Amino acid sequence: MDERIIQFIAALRSAGVRVSLAESADAFEAIKKLGVSSRNLFRISLAATLVKEASDQAKFEELFPLFFATSEVPPFDNLENELSDQEMRQLMEALQKYNRERLKRLLERLINGTPLTPQELQELADQVGMESAQDLRFRDWMAQRMSRALGFDALRNVLAELVEELERAGMSSERAQQIREMLADNQSSLMDQLREFAGQRIAEQMSKQKPEQAQDGLLNRPFGSLSEKEIDQLRKETRRLANALRTRIALRQKRAKSGNLDAKATIRANLKNNSVPIELHHREKVLKPKLVAICDISTSMRACSEFMLGLLYALQDQISKTQAFAFIDHLEYISPDFSKKEPNEAVEQVLYRLPSGHYNTDLGNSLKNFYDNFLNFLDNRTTLIVVGDGRNNYNNPRLDLFFQLKRRVRKVIWLNPENQSQWSQGDSDMQQYAPLCDNVLQVGNMAELAAAVDRLLG
Amino acid sequence: MHFKTPESLKLGLSQQQYIANDEIATILFLSQELGKPLLAEGPAGVGKTELAKSIAAASNRELIRLQCYEGLDETKALYEWEYAKQLLYTQLLRDKLQETLANSQNLTDAADRLAAEEDVFFSMRFLLQRPLLKAILSEKPTVLLIDEIDRADAEFEAFLLEVLSDFQISVPELGTLNAVHRPMVVLTSNNTRELSEALKRRCLYLFINYPDLEQELSVVRLKVPELSSKLARQAVELVQSLRSMDLRKSPSISETLDWAKALVAINARNIDQPTLERTLSVLLKHETDLQQARRVIQRMNKDGGVDDHPSFNPRLGRRN
Repeated sequence: MDERIIQFIAALRSAGVRVSLAESADAFEAIKKLGVSSRNLFRISLAATLVKEASDQAKFEELFPLFFATSEVPPFDNLENELSDQEMRQLMEALQKYNRERLKRLLERLINGTPLTPQELQELADQVGMESAQDLRFRDWMAQRMSRALGFDALRNVLAELVEELERAGMSSERAQQIREMLADNQSSLMDQLREFAGQRIAEQMSKQKPEQAQDGLLNRPFGSLSEKEIDQLRKETRRLANALRTRIALRQKRAKSGNLDAKATIRANLKNNSVPIELHHREKVLKPKLVAICDISTSMRACSEFMLGLLYALQDQISKTQAFAFIDHLEYISPDFSKKEPNEAVEQVLYRLPSGHYNTDLGNSLKNFYDNFLNFLDNRTTLIVVGDGRNNYNNPRLDLFFQLKRRVRKVIWLNPENQSQWSQGDSDMQQYAPLCDNVLQVGNMAELAAAVDRLLG
Repeated sequence: MHFKTPESLKLGLSQQQYIANDEIATILFLSQELGKPLLAEGPAGVGKTELAKSIAAASNRELIRLQCYEGLDETKALYEWEYAKQLLYTQLLRDKLQETLANSQNLTDAADRLAAEEDVFFSMRFLLQRPLLKAILSEKPTVLLIDEIDRADAEFEAFLLEVLSDFQISVPELGTLNAVHRPMVVLTSNNTRELSEALKRRCLYLFINYPDLEQELSVVRLKVPELSSKLARQAVELVQSLRSMDLRKSPSISETLDWAKALVAINARNIDQPTLERTLSVLLKHETDLQQARRVIQRMNKDGGVDDHPSFNPRLGRRN
C-alpha cells in the first residue's frame, strides 16, 4: 500500500501538483490515524494533506481512482444466457457475412461478453504505442486508438444493419432492437475497460517519470532555445516565481523610509522615550503602479511576451491596474482575455484573432492604433512597457507617436531579448527607440524577465 | 473535548447546528489529531468562519479570533508593552521607590537595588496580550481562528509561519513563552490573493464550496424552521440556479438564510413574481446581478419553470 501511495504522489507531481516531502509525510501520518478501510476517508486524508490549491483538486480526483480502483471489470452480459437457441441461430446467421478475422473475433467477444485479459490489453497497448503517453490528456485518445485496433469502426455499420437483418430473418423488431442494445452495452463496457486501462497505464508511466530537474538551468536559458516541453515547465514555474517576487516587493515597500508621518505609530514607539519623538514612523502611501503593456506576439517574441504577461497577471494585487495590448501588424486590446484565462490560453486566443503572417510585424502602425484609440489609458502615474525586439520590417517606426506617448507617462520601459550589439543590425529600429525610453532592459531568459518585473514594480 | 472519530466530530458539529459533510469532519478531525493548522478556502459566505465557531463550541474550547486586515502587524496580533501603564505605575510608586533607594550607600548600590526591582516593570502585568499570545498562554485548550488571512500582508504571513510551526513566542524582556496547550488553529481565506506555499505546506487544506441542493435545504430547515418545507425547497432551488449564472457575486449560504427569514417575515405563501420583486435584493447585492436574475426568472416562468402562480404579472418583472 505504501508503495502505491508513493507512486500516486509521484504521478501527482508529474501532473504538475507541487507536493513537498513534508506533505507526503503528513499524508502517511494522516493515513496512520484514519486507516485505509474507508475509501472515502482515505481519499479525503490524501486530498487534505497533498493538494493545497483548489485548481489542483481536479487533477487529484482524476488520478485517485486510477491508483485506488473500486471495481475491477465493468459488467458484461453473456447473450447466450439471454437468448433462446433459435434467436441465437438467427443472430449467428445475420452476422455470418462478417468474416474478416478481426471483426469476427470482436463480435464473438461481444456476444459472449468476455472482457479483455491483461495480456490482450498489453498487446493493444503495444500496438498503439502507449508507452510514450505521459499525460492524462492522452487518455481518451489512447482508448480510442485501442478500440480502433479492436475493430470498433467496422462495428458501427454492423450494429446499424443488424436490426434489419434480424427482422428479415423473422425476429420481431422489438426483440431485434433489444439484442442490438445488449451488444451495444457490451461494447460500451469494453470501451470503459479500455479507458480504465489507458488511464491506469498512463498514470503509472507518469509516476515513473523522473522528477523535473532543477529549474535554475531553465531560468537562465534564452527563450529562443526552449523546447515546447520546457516552455510548459516554465509556465508551471511562473506562479512560484511571482510568489517570490511578491514577497520581495511587499518587504521592500514595508522598509520604505519616506512618506507621511504616522502619528499613532510614532507616539506608541516613543512612549518608552517619555514621548520624546526620537524614532519617527512613517506611513508610506503605497502608490501601486499602473501599467500599460504593449507586447509583440510575433513568433520570435511570443514566449517572452507570454511569460511577461503571465507574471504581471499573477502579481495583480501589487499593481493598481494593468492594461495589456498585443500586436503583430496592428494592435489588439487583450486585457479581457487575460482576466479570465491562463496566460498561455489567452495568448492562443489572441493569436487566433491576430493571425501572424510572414515578416509583417509593424510597431509603427500599432503605435498609431494605440494613439488613436487608447490614449486615455495613459497618465502621469502610468508606466508604459513595450515588449519587443524593435524589428519593424523597415516600416515607419513612428518615433513621433512614441515620443507623444512618452510625454504622457511616468516611465517608459522597453524589454528587449536582443543585446545591444544586435540593435544596429538588419531591420532593427531599436537604436532609434532606445533614447526615448527611460530604461531598456535585456530579457533574454526567465531570470532576467523576473528581475525586470521586479524593477518595474519597485 | 477530544473527538475520537470523524463521525463523533460530525455529530458534535451538528449539535452546534453546523451541518458538515464527511470531508469537513474528516479534515477537522485530522487537524486535531496531527496538530496541524487547518486552512479553509472557498467563496465568501459558505460558513468558513462559522466552522471555527462551531468546532470551538462543540469541543468546549474558547474561541480566540484574529481578524486580519491590510497593515496588521505584530503589535496587533501578538503583544504590546503597555507603556502608559508602566509610566503611571512608576509615577505612583515613586515614594516607594525612593524608600527603597533611600539608605543606599552609593550610586552603584542604588542602581543594583533598582535593577532588582526591574522585573516588576517588565512582567506579564504590563504585557498587553493580543490574540496569538492569548491563544498560546491560555490555561485551557482553545481554538484560534485566523480569519481572512489573505487580507494580511505577505510579511505578516511569514511571521505567522514561525508562530504556527512551534507555538512559541519569544519576548526579549521575558524570554521564550511556550504554549500550555497547542491551540487548534483554523485559518480562513477568500482567495483574494495567493497565499505563500510555505504557509500552505504547513496546513491541511480544505476547500469549502457552495453546498448542493439537499445540503443547503437541510441548513435552511435547521436554521429557519418556520419556513414551510415546500417553500424552502423552492427557495433553495432558485438560489442554486442563481449560482449557476454568471453573476458578479453569487448568493452565499448566509444570504439564503437571510432570504428564508425574509420570506417568513413577509409571510410568503408562494415564491411568485411579486414576492421575488420585494425580496430578491436580500440575495443579490449588485444592480446588474438583480437585473440579470429578473430576466432569467421571467424566462423560466414563461417556460413554466419556477412557479405557475396565477397572480404572476409580467409587468412587475421590469423595474420602474
